[in-house]
Amino acid sequence: MRFRRKQREIPELNTTSTADISFMLLVFFLVTSSMDTDHGLGRQLAPMDDHHQEQRDINRSNVLQISIDDNDALSCDGKVVTLDELQQQVESFLASRQSSQYVIAVETGRKTSYNAYFEMQNSIVAAYRKLDIKPMRIMEGVKNVE
Amino acid sequence: MGRFKRKQSNSVPGLNLASMPDLIFTVLFFFMIVTHMRDVDPKVQYNVPQGTELTKEVNKNGLVYIFIGKPVDAQGNVVSDDVRIQMGNRYVTLAEIGDEIAKERSRLSEEDQQRLTVSIRADRDTEMGIINDVKQELRKAGALNINYSAEKQIKKGSVKQ
Repeated sequence: MRFRRKQREIPELNTTSTADISFMLLVFFLVTSSMDTDHGLGRQLAPMDDHHQEQRDINRSNVLQISIDDNDALSCDGKVVTLDELQQQVESFLASRQSSQYVIAVETGRKTSYNAYFEMQNSIVAAYRKLDIKPMRIMEGVKNVE
Repeated sequence: MGRFKRKQSNSVPGLNLASMPDLIFTVLFFFMIVTHMRDVDPKVQYNVPQGTELTKEVNKNGLVYIFIGKPVDAQGNVVSDDVRIQMGNRYVTLAEIGDEIAKERSRLSEEDQQRLTVSIRADRDTEMGIINDVKQELRKAGALNINYSAEKQIKKGSVKQ
């Protein structure tokens, strides 16, 4: 016996909703992910172990003393300065150094605000940038108080 | 004067939407690649300082966050005025920072362990005493790469020459 098959047309897959589905996925990713890139000032802290701790004698003339007191007053080498003045001082300090044996000493009070500290750090980096000093890895040391 | 007879029918042809899903998938993949999942919810309120000389943190994988600010509840209301330190998804004390760093470090790959960077996201009004204590703890834990997180400030006009 032979059956006569009817020539059936295959129905096409309805893909209209694919767009909606992918839109939903898109929205989901937009909500759960964060675009914010991490900007900031990179710093290298001094290692803690005592073996590697080196003591260096640095000439007083090769030290730039910056301090911020508890009321966020900024002073550089004993004189009260603004941020722009600080940047210029750091620039002239860096420009007149012959060797790499110099220190920028920073002192803060316990109640100094982080904002003041950050702005100070920012203007130091600005000075480095302006003079185009390339190795921008700034080491942070810690003064030992006995 | 001749008269032209229009042969075409006047109905506007329907727009072919077949490529729309492909288009949206492309956008989707773009977003999946450029963004990363938010893995920590800040439980403290903080406003990072603004700076002009910022650099971009490149390796996202070796990044550990420390949030410092006022504690907030789930709705985002400030609960109290004292300052809390948050790592991972919980508040930590100063003494616990070392352990937390060690825990994060063990999760990372060999390569990322070398480049482990701690991003300090502290509120502007935080007292430096706390920041310095945190930095001391990080030194003890051997996490020496840090990053003071900040947001970009629009550059002021050039300072007087």
